[in-house]
Order: sequence, then structure tokens, then C-alpha cells
Amino acid sequence: MIYRKKWLLISMLAMVLVLTMEFQVLYAQTKLTEMSLDRWAKMREVERYQMNIAEKYYKDKKFDVAMSEFEKYLSLYEASDAASFAQLKWSLCLNQLRKQNTAIKEGFQSVIDYWPESADAAKASYLIGKTYVAIGRVPDGKKAYQNTIIDYPKDAVAVYSLAGLAEIAIREKDEASLVKIWKQMTFDIPRTPLIRSTCATAANSLAVYYFNKGVFASGLKSLQTNYKDDQLSYYVYYYSRTPIGSLVGTDETQSMGYKVADQAVGFLRENIEKDVSTEPLKAKAIGQWSQMIELQKYSRRDKEILAAYRSMLGVFGNRDDLLSSIADYHVTQKRFEQSRTIYRQFKDKVAGLSKVAQSFRSELKPDEAVVVYKQLAGIDAENGATWRGAEAATYRQFQKYPQAIQGYQALVKTDVTNFQQWIWALATTQHEANQFKEAIGTYRQCENFPENYKQMAACHRALKQHKEALILYGQIVNGHEGLAPWAQLQIAYTYEAMTSRELAIKAFQSCCKKYPKASYASTAHAHLQNKYKISVTLGGATDE
Amino acid sequence: MLETWRNINRRTRWTAVAVTFVWFATVFDWVWGGLIPDPTLLFATAATAMAIRMRVEYRRRHENIIRFWFAFTVSIPVFWQAGIYFSDWLEFDELRGYIARGGLATFFITGLIWVVWGVERISQRLEAERRHAFNLQATLRHESPVKTKDKKSQAKIWNPLDPQAWYYGQKAPRLNQSLSSFVSYCVTFFLVCIILSQFRGCTQYYDLPAGGGVTETVQRVVKVQKIIRKKFILNPYSAIYYNAPEIDEVKLELSEVTAHQYNIGDGEGEGAGFAGGTNKGSVGFFRLEYAGGDWNQDFGIGGDMNMLIKYTELTGQNVAKQSKAVTPSQLKAFDKVRCPPLLYITGQKNISLGNNDIKILREYIFDKHGMIFGDNGGSRHFHNQFLAMMQRIAGDVKPVRIPADDDIHMKPYQIPKVPIVAPHGGVESLGWFKDGRWICYYHPGDIGDAWANGHAGVSAEIWNSSYRLGANIINYAHVGHSRWRIAQQKSNGED
Repeated sequence: MIYRKKWLLISMLAMVLVLTMEFQVLYAQTKLTEMSLDRWAKMREVERYQMNIAEKYYKDKKFDVAMSEFEKYLSLYEASDAASFAQLKWSLCLNQLRKQNTAIKEGFQSVIDYWPESADAAKASYLIGKTYVAIGRVPDGKKAYQNTIIDYPKDAVAVYSLAGLAEIAIREKDEASLVKIWKQMTFDIPRTPLIRSTCATAANSLAVYYFNKGVFASGLKSLQTNYKDDQLSYYVYYYSRTPIGSLVGTDETQSMGYKVADQAVGFLRENIEKDVSTEPLKAKAIGQWSQMIELQKYSRRDKEILAAYRSMLGVFGNRDDLLSSIADYHVTQKRFEQSRTIYRQFKDKVAGLSKVAQSFRSELKPDEAVVVYKQLAGIDAENGATWRGAEAATYRQFQKYPQAIQGYQALVKTDVTNFQQWIWALATTQHEANQFKEAIGTYRQCENFPENYKQMAACHRALKQHKEALILYGQIVNGHEGLAPWAQLQIAYTYEAMTSRELAIKAFQSCCKKYPKASYASTAHAHLQNKYKISVTLGGATDE
Repeated sequence: MLETWRNINRRTRWTAVAVTFVWFATVFDWVWGGLIPDPTLLFATAATAMAIRMRVEYRRRHENIIRFWFAFTVSIPVFWQAGIYFSDWLEFDELRGYIARGGLATFFITGLIWVVWGVERISQRLEAERRHAFNLQATLRHESPVKTKDKKSQAKIWNPLDPQAWYYGQKAPRLNQSLSSFVSYCVTFFLVCIILSQFRGCTQYYDLPAGGGVTETVQRVVKVQKIIRKKFILNPYSAIYYNAPEIDEVKLELSEVTAHQYNIGDGEGEGAGFAGGTNKGSVGFFRLEYAGGDWNQDFGIGGDMNMLIKYTELTGQNVAKQSKAVTPSQLKAFDKVRCPPLLYITGQKNISLGNNDIKILREYIFDKHGMIFGDNGGSRHFHNQFLAMMQRIAGDVKPVRIPADDDIHMKPYQIPKVPIVAPHGGVESLGWFKDGRWICYYHPGDIGDAWANGHAGVSAEIWNSSYRLGANIINYAHVGHSRWRIAQQKSNGED
């Protein structure tokens, strides 16, 4: 059971890293699917012209047109140096048009068969594997990747294929192969510009794997292949924190987690900036201290965390940012009083009090928070509107709507610069307080169409003023393309509330017919069948 | 009761035994066996005989009321099962459900009445015997009871039918006896029900239709219509009359039809079908009956039956008379080789399947070479439910978007774009590919609705394409299964 949990965790983390790797391979692949400048230079003007036309359509994602243009290139300039590239791109167009089987058999394979010596043959070989995996034919993909590695061992595609094999190993839960591949990519393969990022991601994945296994030294060794000095410290923190958190989270691996945390913190402490004579160096040191404390937080050891904070204060003194960090930590531990004591020690009294008020709100003490906000409005008169707004928000948070509305109404009158902000807050508060008529009037003054129309319609429906709601939904249908399917569905629901069965049915059918690919069409279709027992829902579409 | 039995003359007695035996055999065969091709006549005979007997018993009920109620009790399962059979035969699915539930409830209540009556009668008899043995005079004379050497009379009473049994206690023994009888009956009844529902019965067989053919993309039928317009070479409105001869004797419409000249199927047999099939075989359409959701959307005539009818039109293969629903345990009852190649799953709510059901489905896919055809009948929730179910069945296989040029989208009919009725689970059809074949095809947009009467009001292009896609999937599963059956036969050394 524990083993399964651990494996699941490792798989999930590895998946995240592999996804990153996938993006990097994709990025590299965009380079794979581009032709080198040398080759462009070797082309004749007419060839370049035709290729450019095809490439333009490809970039515009008009793949069917691009495909015919590449085909045209092939029939016109079969002997050209870029013919293999045109064939490769033709296959990629097929891939985009979801004709992957044809792309493999008639596209990529043709590149290998007809232009075996070209640079594109290696790319095609790799892309065969990638395409097979994408269409679910994993064993074929695996075989294709292996062939690529054997046939083109010195090409970048061999490394991409290794990354592909690692992905398959994760799917198949083949831990031994996975680690073997990662090790190979981390330590054995020389890093060239094209493959650097792919190998670096493999090294990071291996490091995470080792941290999860509790072997800090090996993880560090993997990261050392990618980073040095300050960067290394940061990435030790970055990649060890999640494994520490998950190891500590389970009773069986808790001690292992503490061990890794101690080793990681020890490593960070060794490399911490000791010279704090200048502001930049001080900022750097504070960052490193914060990372160290973050790691302690992941290990969930309160004593060590507070001790680390104390040491930090010893080095840097009572800075507001440090005090804020400590007090915030106390808030996470629900030690509100302690946190407020620290907030009150801020040199910046306004910032400190603001935090105090926030802490009262977190502790569900609205009256105390309001007192502090009033105090703040007195101290910081320049930002009085902000504090009065915060006061009103506090009332709203605790459902004291009359006071909140009063507060917002005052702000609407006094703070003209932020009129839209306060009028929206007032409208939504009135809406929440079920003052629908007042809310409609206030929403009318807002300028954030279609959101204000949506809310106004909702208020009208709550007041059973269905006709008004229908008008507003109709305006959304005509005025906002993105929300039109939603508004059409709402029209149907409104007719339903009016007990206009026929019109409701027509509106639901209209939703299916006008927006057949929107999720609202699905809702309308199901509603027609379930509620009205109507099978003729209209609609119907095809995939892209 | 025995007395009642003895009162019946010997001939009638044995006739009743024979009829009961035949009736039981028919029910078992219908539910689990399938040896009798059409048990309609047997059910009709049994039900009619029972009705006649009941009429006789009703007239003679004054002679022996117990006998009448006994006959009534016996008639319940007969009419119940016959009702289920005939409503199934007439395809009144809803009525069948009501009869099944109503019959079960009636059977339960009747049994309970008999239990209460029986226990009461026996306990009264025991009480009477005890009263008879009781020496009232001796008690009135305050004589101490004679100590008997018979240990039996002093021993604890264990008989549950006796209210004086020690475990019923002293306070309210009759109440305790009634309660325990009721609980025992209920527990026994439900246990029997559970056991019977789990009972798979005999192995079932699914045969493919015999024949042969190839599965290639059917060329579209091209109709060339040549319309020759009449050209006037003379002015028809001229004041001068010309006797214009007919110069154009060419037919006004010409049509050239290029139709496919081969059978759809697999193998070298005659007629459209499969080399791994038999003459009795036909292409069926099975759907999974599961708990938790509306598995029966567009089921039967006017629903998925339309697809079967269209399938025979599109492929020329024999199809079953009706589509069927199977529970996981019924699916398990199918033979390891001769089982349905395709299982359709639809709905819009939850898919509640236990671990055992999942195991059966996994066996069906991986050991029996089956294939699942999922169809989202109405919600994003079902989409998630289906994906979660597939994760449990085939966790190591990830779903992928099925290519447009895959065989399943190309043969026998080319489906350039997947037709969608409503995008409940998006617009992309997903597939699970394992061991060189699609083990599952998931349609996200209610293809079943496009097959049903009215076609959900979608355009003819969409519903036609939906039928073709359905035909492709059914044919794909059957071709794969036919080849696998032949391979199995060869590996088993059979002919």
C-alpha cells in the first residue's frame, strides 16, 4: 500500500517533469520542423518562393492548403535539396489534419526511404515514434524510438527519443528503465545546444526521484550537472520542497523526510551569502534565508521554523518584511494574537494595522476589524477611501448588508475617481442582500457589459419580471458572441419559469441548433429529453 | 396440507407434478439455458392450464378453502413468470419491469402469510397438546407436580415452532416467536433472491453470421446525371409552320452507378459475414445494464434497433431480431470464445460498477477479445464517469483522439468527420488502443440519439454519418473477433 502510494507520488511528480520535458521537446521540435539557413541559401529562387508560400499556409494553420503547396513543391522540384523537407512538412500537415496513419506510412517513412542521407530522415524517424505514441500505439512508438536511437545515435533526435522512452516508462510504471534513461541523459550524454534543455529536464526529474527516495546526495549530484553556485542552491530548494512535503506527510516516510529536509537546509546554509554589507547582497541573503525557512515549513516542524526565524532576525534585525513573514506564519498556525502583536511592531504603522485588521477578519471578528479600519482611515487620510472600502467589504463579508451598503453609497458619492469600482461593489452587495430592485438600478450604472446585464437579468428573474430578463438576455445574445450560448440557454430557462412550455422548448432547441458545439447545447439537449421527453432537439455537428 | 394432497386423485396429482416440472424446466431454460428456441407455446399452455385450474378451484373453494389458497399460491409464480415472458415477447419493457417487481412483492407477501399461518397453526396445536396434558384437578388440589423420571419433559425446548421454546423468554413468547418468524422469513427470502440474482446459469453463446468478405472502404456511389436540354433550331413562334422532325432521341437522363462489388465481412465464405461464424449466427447489439444510471436510453425498437436494421442494409450481414441488454454477471455467462464482440454503454448519470463487475469487464476485453462502445447520452458527468470506469478497467492505457484515417473511421464507410448530436463530452471521439486494436471507442455526443426515431432533429448528413460510424464500429469489432476466434480454434487444435 505504502509502496503504491509512493509510486503514485513519484509518477505524478515525474509526469509533471516529463510534461515540462515534453514542452521542451516540442520547442526543440519546432526547430526540427524548420530548415537550416544553409539549406535555404542553397535553394533556387523559384524553389524558395514555392516553399515560402507553403510555409506561410502552415504557419497560418491552413494545413490542407499548406499540404497541397508542399505537394506542389515536391512535384516541381523533386531533385531539390529541400524536397525531403517538403515531404516532412507534408507529413506534419497530415498529422495536424488527424491523418496520422497516412502521415507515418506515406509521409515520414517516404522521407526515410527516398532521402535516407538527408538531415530530415532522422527527424522523420523520431516523428514516427512520436506520432505512434500520440495515437495510442505505444509498442510501435517504443520500437520507432529505439530504431531512431540505433540509426541516428549522434543526432539530437536520439535524445528526444530517449525522452519519449522515459515517458513510456512512466506510463508503464517501469521504474528501472526510467531511472536508467534519466541517468543516461543526465550523466552520459554531452550537452549540445539542441539537447541541453531535454537533458537538463531529465536531470531535474532524476533529482526529484532521488529526493523522493530520501537520497539527497544523488539528487544533488543530478542537479549539479545543470546548475552551479547560487542557481544550484535555488534549484535544490525548488526541487526538494515537494518531495520533503510528501515524505513528511506519511508516517512511514516521515523520518526520511526530516533527513532530506535537514540535508537540504544544511546545504543551503553552507552556501548562504554571508556578506550583507550592501543592499543587493542583503536582499540576496534574505532570499536564501527565506528559501531555507520555506524548506523547514515543508518539513512541518514548528520549533525549527521559529528557531530559523529567530536566527534570521538576529542577522537582519526587525525588518517589516521579516516580521510580516513571521506573523503570517503564526496566522497559518491560527495563533492570531501572536501574529497581531508582531504586526503592531511594524515600523510602517499603516501596513501593520492593515495586517491586524486582516487578521481579525481571518479570525471572524468583524467588529474589531472595523475599529482598526476606522483607525486607519484616521491615520492614513490620503487613502481614506481604500480603508472605508475595506470596512464596507468587512461588513459585506459578515453579511451585515445595511452597513456595507451605506459604506459603499458614501464611497460612490465621495470617491469619484474609482466610481466604477464602488458602484459595482454596491450593486453586488445589494444583489446579495436580496434588494433586487435597488441592485438593478445600480447595475444599470455599471459599464462592464455583459456582466452587469447578466446580473440585472438574474435580479429580474428573482423578481419574477421575466419579460425584462428576456430582453436583457436577448441583448447579450446579440451583443456578446462568447456569452451568446449561455444567454440563449437562460432565455429557455426563463420561458420555463414563465410556464411557457412551447417557447421554452423552442428556445432550448434554438440553443442546440445555433450553438451545436457549445457545452450549453449539451445541457439544452439533455434538458429537452429529460424534462420534456422530446427527442427532436435539433443541433448536430461534426468534430473539427 | 398433506391431507389435502392425499385427497387429490392419483392421476391429477401426477399431472400436476408433470406440468410443474415442465414449467420449471421452461423457466430455467428461458432464463439461463436457451436450449428451447421458442418457449412461447409452453408458457402459453402453462398459463392457460393454470387459469383453468384456478377457475375450477374458485368454484370449489367452499369444499376446502385451504386447497384453494394453496392453488392460488402456486399460481402466483406461474402467472408472474408468464407475465414477464409475454411482456418481454411483446417488447413492453416498462410493463415487464412492473410485472417483475409486482410479482416479486406478491410472492413475498403470500409467502409471509403462509409462514404466519403455518407457525400459528403449529404453535396452537402444541399449546393444545400441552393443555390436554395439563392436570387441572391436581393443580386445584395444590398437589405438588409429580416428579417424573422422563428427562425429555424437563429438558429445554428448542423447537422454534413452539412458543414455549426457551429462547423466546417468559415475558412475551408469542410476540418474540412472531418477530423471529418474520425476520427469519425476510432474511431467507432476500438471501435466496441475492443468490438467484448471482446465479449465472448455463453458458451462453454468441455466434457470428457465417460468410466472408473484405473490409475495404466502400466507394461512394456516384450518380452521373446527364440532362440534355432541348435546343430549338427553329423559332417555335414563327408564323411559318415547319414540320420539325424529332432530332434528339437521346434519353434525357443518364445515370451511371458505380457500386462496390464485394461483400462486407471477413474471410472467404459466401455472402456477407465472417469466416469465424456459423449459419445460425447473426450480428447482435448488446448494451450493458448497470446500476446508477439510465443505461436504457434509446433501447430497443425505435432506438438502437434502428442501428441494427441499418447495419444489415449497409453491410448485408444477418442481424439479430432485437437488441439486448446484459448485466455484468450475464456477460460473464457467455462462452470464453463465442461471446459478443461489442458492448455498448450509454447513459447520462452515474456508472455504478463494483470491483467484481470491473473484473468481468476486464476479462471481457482482455480475455474474450471484447470491445466497449461508449456513448455519452447527456452530460459532462457521464463523460467523467466513463473515463473513470475505463481507468479502472484498463488503467495502463491512456485514451487518445482517434485518427481520422484509422480503419475504424475508414472501413467500410469513410467518416471524414465524427458526427455529434450534442457535445456532452466535447466533440472528440476517444479511443483506448491496446494489443494492436481499439479496445474501446468513446463517442462524446449521443450517437444513440441520431440512430433513434426522429434522429434528434439533426440533419440527414449527421444521422446518416452516425449510422455509418455505428456500422464501422460494429463491423470492426466483429472482424477482429472473427479473426481472434479462428486463431483460438487453431491454437486449440480444432478444425
